[in-house]
Amino acid sequence: MHILNDERHTRRTFLRRASQLALAGSATPLALSLAAMGEAAAFDATDYKALVCVFLFGGNDYANTVVPLDDTRYAAYSRLRGAGAGAGLVIPQSALTSTELRPTTALPDGTRYALAPEMPELAALFHQGRLAVQLNVGPLVVPLTRVQYDAGILPRPPKLFSHNDQQSVWQAQGAEGSTRGWGGNIGDLALSANSKAMFTCISVTGNTVFLSGQNALQYQCSKAGAVAVEAIRGSPGGQFFYMPAMRSMFEELVQQPQTHVLAEEYNRVVRRSLSAESQVSAALGPVQLNTGFPADNKLAEQLQIVARLIGARNALGVKRQVFFVSLEGFDVHDNMGTRQPALLRRLSQALGAFDASLRELGMVDQVTTFTASDFGRTLSVNGDGTDHGWGGHQFVLGGAVKGKAFYGAPAPLSVGNSSAPDDQWHVGQGRLLPSTSVDQFGATLAQWFGVSEEERYGVLPNLRNFGDRAGRPDYPVDLGFMRR
Amino acid sequence: MQSEPTAPARGVASAATLAAAALLAACGGGDPDLPAQFGDPDTALRRSDLLPIAQPLRGQRQAAAAQRLPTPTELLDFAERQYAQFFPSNETNQLSGDVVYRFYPRSGNYVGVSGDAVLVLGPLSNNVVTHVGNMRDFAAAVLASRPALRAVSDEEAARFVLHAQFSTSTEDIAAVRAQGYENWLDAQLALPSSQSGWDWLTQKGYATVDTNEFFFAMGTNNYMIWYQMFQSPDAVRRRWALALSEIFVVSWRGIKDVLNWDNFAMAEYWDLLCGHALGNYREMLEALTLNPAMGAFLSTRGNQREDATTGRLPDENYAREVMQLFSIGLHDLNLDASIKRDGNGQPIESYSADDVSHLARVFTGYDQDRSHPTFVNPKPPHQTIMNVVAVRGRMVLDATKHSTAEKSFLGVTIPANTPAVESLRIALDTLANHPNTAPFLARQFIQRLVTSNPAPAYIARVASTFVNNGAGVRGDLKAVLRAVLLDPEARGAASLASPTFGKLREPMLRIAQWGRTFKLHSKRGTWKANFGPWDPVRDLGQFPLDPPSVFSYFRPGYVPPGTQMAQTGATTPEFQIVNESTVATWINQLMSVVFRGIWVSAPQQAANSPVPSATDGQDIAPDYSVEKALVGDSSALVRRLNLLLCAGQLSPATSARIAEALRVDGIRSDSSDDFKQIHVARAIVFVMCCADYLVQR
Repeated sequence: MHILNDERHTRRTFLRRASQLALAGSATPLALSLAAMGEAAAFDATDYKALVCVFLFGGNDYANTVVPLDDTRYAAYSRLRGAGAGAGLVIPQSALTSTELRPTTALPDGTRYALAPEMPELAALFHQGRLAVQLNVGPLVVPLTRVQYDAGILPRPPKLFSHNDQQSVWQAQGAEGSTRGWGGNIGDLALSANSKAMFTCISVTGNTVFLSGQNALQYQCSKAGAVAVEAIRGSPGGQFFYMPAMRSMFEELVQQPQTHVLAEEYNRVVRRSLSAESQVSAALGPVQLNTGFPADNKLAEQLQIVARLIGARNALGVKRQVFFVSLEGFDVHDNMGTRQPALLRRLSQALGAFDASLRELGMVDQVTTFTASDFGRTLSVNGDGTDHGWGGHQFVLGGAVKGKAFYGAPAPLSVGNSSAPDDQWHVGQGRLLPSTSVDQFGATLAQWFGVSEEERYGVLPNLRNFGDRAGRPDYPVDLGFMRR
Repeated sequence: MQSEPTAPARGVASAATLAAAALLAACGGGDPDLPAQFGDPDTALRRSDLLPIAQPLRGQRQAAAAQRLPTPTELLDFAERQYAQFFPSNETNQLSGDVVYRFYPRSGNYVGVSGDAVLVLGPLSNNVVTHVGNMRDFAAAVLASRPALRAVSDEEAARFVLHAQFSTSTEDIAAVRAQGYENWLDAQLALPSSQSGWDWLTQKGYATVDTNEFFFAMGTNNYMIWYQMFQSPDAVRRRWALALSEIFVVSWRGIKDVLNWDNFAMAEYWDLLCGHALGNYREMLEALTLNPAMGAFLSTRGNQREDATTGRLPDENYAREVMQLFSIGLHDLNLDASIKRDGNGQPIESYSADDVSHLARVFTGYDQDRSHPTFVNPKPPHQTIMNVVAVRGRMVLDATKHSTAEKSFLGVTIPANTPAVESLRIALDTLANHPNTAPFLARQFIQRLVTSNPAPAYIARVASTFVNNGAGVRGDLKAVLRAVLLDPEARGAASLASPTFGKLREPMLRIAQWGRTFKLHSKRGTWKANFGPWDPVRDLGQFPLDPPSVFSYFRPGYVPPGTQMAQTGATTPEFQIVNESTVATWINQLMSVVFRGIWVSAPQQAANSPVPSATDGQDIAPDYSVEKALVGDSSALVRRLNLLLCAGQLSPATSARIAEALRVDGIRSDSSDDFKQIHVARAIVFVMCCADYLVQR
């Protein structure tokens, strides 16, 4: 990645540097020592970049998120979801006017969309030019038509329609059990840019394969910051281990090397935790953030700490970071009419507050946030909900985003299985066949982040099946939604 | 229950077929597939003299009848011991149809169990499938000749008890040593099922309808399950039910806002697991399918048939998850849970999207029983509240809402207009009898109780017992539990010495163990024990009957990236919730309860209290009286904790270091009771926060 100068970032240099990574943040099992890198890189605040992945667990229903608004398409949507009208699954057309999306360049054929009525914040960000909508994106191995899918003649992603596997395929291009994610692969390249490599990949929501690279590992930070062990650091009520000698023996015991493999791996995490905590707590302490975040919103809580961590980037010694946050509950097989709007409201409010906090920090051009989800859902309904699908619409947010625009191809609205054109972009029940792959989506983000063209093929190994190199310019490896 | 055998060739196999099999065997070309004739014991030649048993033992039929029948594994192990001339090596169980068998390349012989028949084939039987007796005939000899399975130390006994249940005591250890593993275990399994969660909630007053609004989600089900973990006398059954709850998941957070009496709904689901835990899988599967909490969780409740005019289709949620998680899993498996491969070396998916769509039709027409009188919430806005009976028992069927379409899935076709009850029977039989089900579940059962990355042969032995408990019964969960706990892999010294055997203890089980070991008691008897994610620096991170989703707290196939486990692909599910936050919050959480107990707000009453009150305090407190008597001798104190908490698995160096650390506070035999209390608490924290304890071997 071309951040400082080329010499630092040849593959050989990287490998040499990787061996110097005597860091608990790396996968190499060496003793804890957060040594600064040899060349103390100057932490130029203007050269910082971060990617934030917002994972919507459960599979977000695309059709009630980015809703067809023009009369022709609205009529089709309303008809195809009609069985769920009584359960709130058909959003009234009149309710969509305030969240209509008016792109800089109108979509062809009079196609118009609106966001769900619960998302005014995202609609505003769209019109301010900081939000883009990527239509119909999902996992693909190679470009695929419906005919090819039905015939089973070309490779397709493993275990389609299975939650845990599609979460893994989105994050790591492989079914559950994969150990390398593209966020972590990007993190591998970023390690050498950071003086404290441990803080390159940060999750605020639990273990995720997305942030696992070959050397980069996720660091877990809670929504309240790094968790201090009261028995070691002391605490307000703390008479428990008040004797320093007992405290230090405890501190030693919970980290000591072990011959049993599981025990040793557990203690490695403990060492990382203890080592990182004081640094993270010290770094976060002085960060002032006045932007309010909505209450009762787990995503907002996570994004708030992400904002504060970004505010603490110089003290944390990082120039390139990848974050992972999430919102759960999108698997709306039933009660979709009440559940999904509540979730979309939380999503919109949380992202709105996050954007505002980045503006407060002066970092809005340096942070790009994107949503992802297991899959979209069926267009057909089961009464009061929908079932597992494939492609879906996702958002990209940030000052560096070419917003106020749609990317990708609008999919026709159909649930039929004929050879008509309208039935070629779903695989039954309106489950969208993606017209853009996760690889292309990730490559576009990685490019902005600073990953060179060659290295993008390493970060997303499946990318080689798309774009000019594969003879498929209709699946470009740069989707164009990021400014240079 | 036994499935239909696959249609075999009648009579004696052709010499050519068997010669080919023998040729393959002679070339050492792996284990040939079991010849089809093996599956039809009725047509086999009968020769009870081929595998002779000493006459006195064979005559002890009455004694054998009083004992149980051996499992196929026990029978096959016996064959290797007793007839080594025919079965000259130690082989792993394999499965063909419902036949559990072993093949011996050196001799070319097969021996297997089909139903309750013992069959052989190979040179020993002139290449004719031969029925050499029933399990009954061999039972006495098999059971009598097994290598003795006894604990030779307190540590071994404690290790066994801690595999089987939440905690151990010196009494349990002594009993195991006196009775032997099997007798002790069987006595535990014979204990009557203790008070149900439903009855506990009722007894505590939570069925009362008043302005406390117990019928809305308040977490009183958490009090119930923690009480069950801390206090149930039939601890082995309850420990096993908890393990089942992590596979056949209903999560409180998934139902609490979508039905009234969510607390009783969770209790009913829990009671279902406890009730079926030592029964049969097929029956448990049916009860789960029709359970109201499960119906609300995976949307079978209110699921309707397809409607061509509106385009509505059946909800696929339960159909997918019952296959993916509760029975057959995602790919085809061998008996040892290794993945079957097709001609291109690829895994074989066990079901398709179409299978899901068609199976979904079976689960239509069911709903909670809404026929019982509702009532009005005494508190404004006086909503209508459902009768609590609606979360009990089974959902009811409205045949007009059941799909009458044809249903084709997994190679089975249910004709159009088949009655719902029959369709359900066929569907659940198909899942229960599928060859994947035994290995798919067996591996997870072993993971829950004993070790995270079990050896294939261990899996095959447990799966064999699922296929056939020795009496020809499939899905005997009690037999399967015994197989998991009594397996030499779990009991032997070799696994204890292995640097990779074992599992990371689950956070909620660590608390359960602490509570039982130290005789936690509720001073006011209300037992409002609860843990929740309220404090991010003390978050236990795992709550019973309340995982994040139907995918439980962690995946059975989870391999933590960047670890030694990743290098070998060893699965360690519990590591999926290990990170820099949770390793710290564990210590903080333990410290917050270990000194004086669990804080309870308003412990004098069943209801919660939104405001602080004078009675708030550590109502649920541990009893450290035995430990306090040992404080004058730190080594003795550590020795006791080491034995009770981790079966002596603290290394000598760790034990010595902890004892040394404990002396730092200057404790003495005549110190105050309060000082002794905190000293013991410190000792427990030391033990329960070091990796020697946290990894259970």
